[in-house]
Amino acid sequence: MTGEGLTGGCQCGAVRFHVGGLGRGSICHCRMCQKQFGAFYGPLITSKDLTWTRGEPKWFRSSNKARRGFCADCGTPLGYQPDGEAVELAIGAFDDPAAAAPSIQVNPNDKLSFVDGLPTLPMRGAVDSPQLAAFNASVISYQHPDHDTAAWPRPGGLPS
Amino acid sequence: MSEVRITGGCQCGAVRYALHEQPTNPHICHCRMCQKAFGSFFAPLFSVSVDAFAVTRGELAIFMSSDVAERGFCRACGTPLTIHDVGDATICVSIGSLDEPAKLAPAHQYGVEARMPYFAALATLPGETTTEDDIPGKAATIARTNHQHPDHDTAAWPPVRPDNRHD
Repeated sequence: MTGEGLTGGCQCGAVRFHVGGLGRGSICHCRMCQKQFGAFYGPLITSKDLTWTRGEPKWFRSSNKARRGFCADCGTPLGYQPDGEAVELAIGAFDDPAAAAPSIQVNPNDKLSFVDGLPTLPMRGAVDSPQLAAFNASVISYQHPDHDTAAWPRPGGLPS
Repeated sequence: MSEVRITGGCQCGAVRYALHEQPTNPHICHCRMCQKAFGSFFAPLFSVSVDAFAVTRGELAIFMSSDVAERGFCRACGTPLTIHDVGDATICVSIGSLDEPAKLAPAHQYGVEARMPYFAALATLPGETTTEDDIPGKAATIARTNHQHPDHDTAAWPPVRPDNRHD
């Protein structure tokens, strides 16, 4: 699976990356990761042989021990890097996040009490709403596709 | 005394906001666009009236993920903050950016067609000791030099301290 590595990038496509392989994947419950991702935890996986193949992240120095990368154009959280160590990439930024499953939870002290129950929440949306499904089908996405592209933005450009 | 004021903001504190009514429809959305916007498995969001949502410091940077939706984030640190359908009277805000996210448990899942195959198993993953247990010295240094905005409004940001680098 990792013979040719894996690719990914931000939502708008200004930043793209390639990794030769992956280390440990985790979900980190600490409040710093919650804030970086605007979410309940940080889904991160250690990169091996990381190359930024288009653009580069902007970095926020979250403490004197680590920095956190994101796309300055669209905001996608891209990674976390402790000083002197490999970048841990945001799993959702991979083109195929299913291939980068986490194997461990870390920093449970800040874990939100409702996290473990999320998978059992009732489901809503396009699965039971033809109206919403039709609306979704009408949307023209400006998100970068889940594979590398020769040039981006696409011909015709993105709205400013 | 009954006036609602619920606050939140981005990681670095350049963008702060306040809600002046109770949030509604807390949910998580697994759709691929929300996954990408949040670099994660899903986006955790709630709804609030546009009229009851006020940016109290800085401003949202906007990426139009389609002609329908404006996605707001902090240009200085990247925290995903909002999704707003153009012209809609409500705006969705990220639950993790609230100062007290524990108070707003999601009630529904959307976009389940894109749900990660391992999502249901996340709760069964083994836990681990904390940063404080593993590397107490480093954890103390992080706590002392933390550049994350605190989980409450502040009079001024960044604070006046020499190590508050935002590079």
